[in-house]
This record gives sequence, C-alpha cells and structure tokens, in this order.
Amino acid sequence: MLILTRKLGESLLIGDDIKITILGIKGRQIRIGVEAAAGTIVHREEIYRLIQEQNRQAAKSAETSGENLSAIWDKLKSAPYPEAAKK
Amino acid sequence: MKIATTRLGALYIAEEKMILMQRGILGFEGYKRFVLLMPSVHEPLFWLQAADEPALAFVVANPGLIKKDYKPAIMPDELELLDIRRSEDIVLLAIMTMQPPPLQVTANLRAPILINAANRKANQVILADPTYPMQYLVFDNGAKTSRNGAAQQQAGAGQLDKLAVAMTGS
Repeated sequence: MLILTRKLGESLLIGDDIKITILGIKGRQIRIGVEAAAGTIVHREEIYRLIQEQNRQAAKSAETSGENLSAIWDKLKSAPYPEAAKK
Repeated sequence: MKIATTRLGALYIAEEKMILMQRGILGFEGYKRFVLLMPSVHEPLFWLQAADEPALAFVVANPGLIKKDYKPAIMPDELELLDIRRSEDIVLLAIMTMQPPPLQVTANLRAPILINAANRKANQVILADPTYPMQYLVFDNGAKTSRNGAAQQQAGAGQLDKLAVAMTGS
C-alpha cells in the first residue's frame, strides 16, 4: 500500500481522472472530496461489502429454495406473521 | 442459444433476450449475461439466471410490489452508464433472500438491479439513501396483498414482461 501524508486542502491524483481532496478534519472524522470522470461510481467500503455478502446469501438461499417460485409466494401469503413482525 | 441451469434444466433462449450486466452484481462481477425467467405472467417472483453458470440464479421481484411507495432516487451517473434516456425505460428488480424454515423472505431494497428496458443493459446500483433496507421483510409489508392486478404499480414495471422470458410448465 502506498502511504502518503496530506495536509488539509491538499489533493491526490489517481491516474488522470480521479482527484481526492482532504476537505476537513474534525476529531476522528475526515471529509474527503472525490472528483472523477462521469460514470465512476464511488462507494463506502462497508456498504459495498455488506451488499456483496447479502448477494452471496441470496444466491445460496436460491440454491436450496427449489425451482417452484409460485410455491414460495403462496407459502409466504399464507404464512402467519413471524414473531419479529409482531413487535 | 442453449443455457444449462441446475434448477430448470436446459433452456433455449434467444440471444436478444439476455440481460447484459455492465459492472455486474456485487460479488458476482464475472457473470455478465443473465436471463430473466418468469414462471407465469404476473407472478411476483422471477428467476434471474446466469447464462454462463448453471448453478447461479437469484430470486428477484418487482420492488414496487413489495413496498408500494418504492421510488428511489437513482444517481445520474448510474443512468448514464446504462444509456438510460427516458424514465419509462427504468426497470428495477429487488434481489430476494429466502430463509427457511420457517419461511422468511427479505428483499434488498438498498441495492436493486437497474435495467434499461430499451437496450437490456443492467447493473446493481447502491442507493445513496441509507434508509432503504438491505433486508426488508417481505410479507410483513404488503406481500399479503393479491398477486394479481398489481403488476403496473411502478414506473417501468410493465416493461418486465418484455424483458422476461416466460417459462412453461411451472
């Protein structure tokens, strides 16, 4: 990993079209500005990881759910409310 | 072309029926071609089957059926990436997770699959609004309503029939 020290207001360039600027520092929080070409999608890493994991679970659950989606939906419609839903 | 699937056997799908992932589905970025399989018309649940991996399929649904007021703001960059020019070409699908038993189904409303109905390009997008849950409990929230007559509630939902391939015999 490349490690650099930056001051408030200073920037980094990644390649030709991504610019990261330190906009503010407040205690343990740092405000970062990202400028990138249109179409570059920026995510918070923890959200990205959570969604990856949710997708893996979804794919795995679909493996064991059988092929009959109508049956799943019918079961859902007729199922009693779960405990969680009553709270 | 012929597509092998572990759940539904071999399917013959026209090339122009493919859903074309650009970045792809997070964690499954290597799979670019999918087919949206509709068990029967107006069924709320669909299969999103990978064309190049028989064992990979997601259960998906029209999120407008799961949460009636689901009209998330989508970042302009995401629309741009799929060349979406008209709002009526926007189709969203929620990826479902089943947890048996007892059967519980959750919908990922935070990261729907966005499809351009005009060119079939698609991506999973992460919504900026953190209030959309990744695990939205389905039948606590409206799945008890009838499966019929609710297919048109979301802009672009009528496009689903066009995007999907009807399955016979299930």
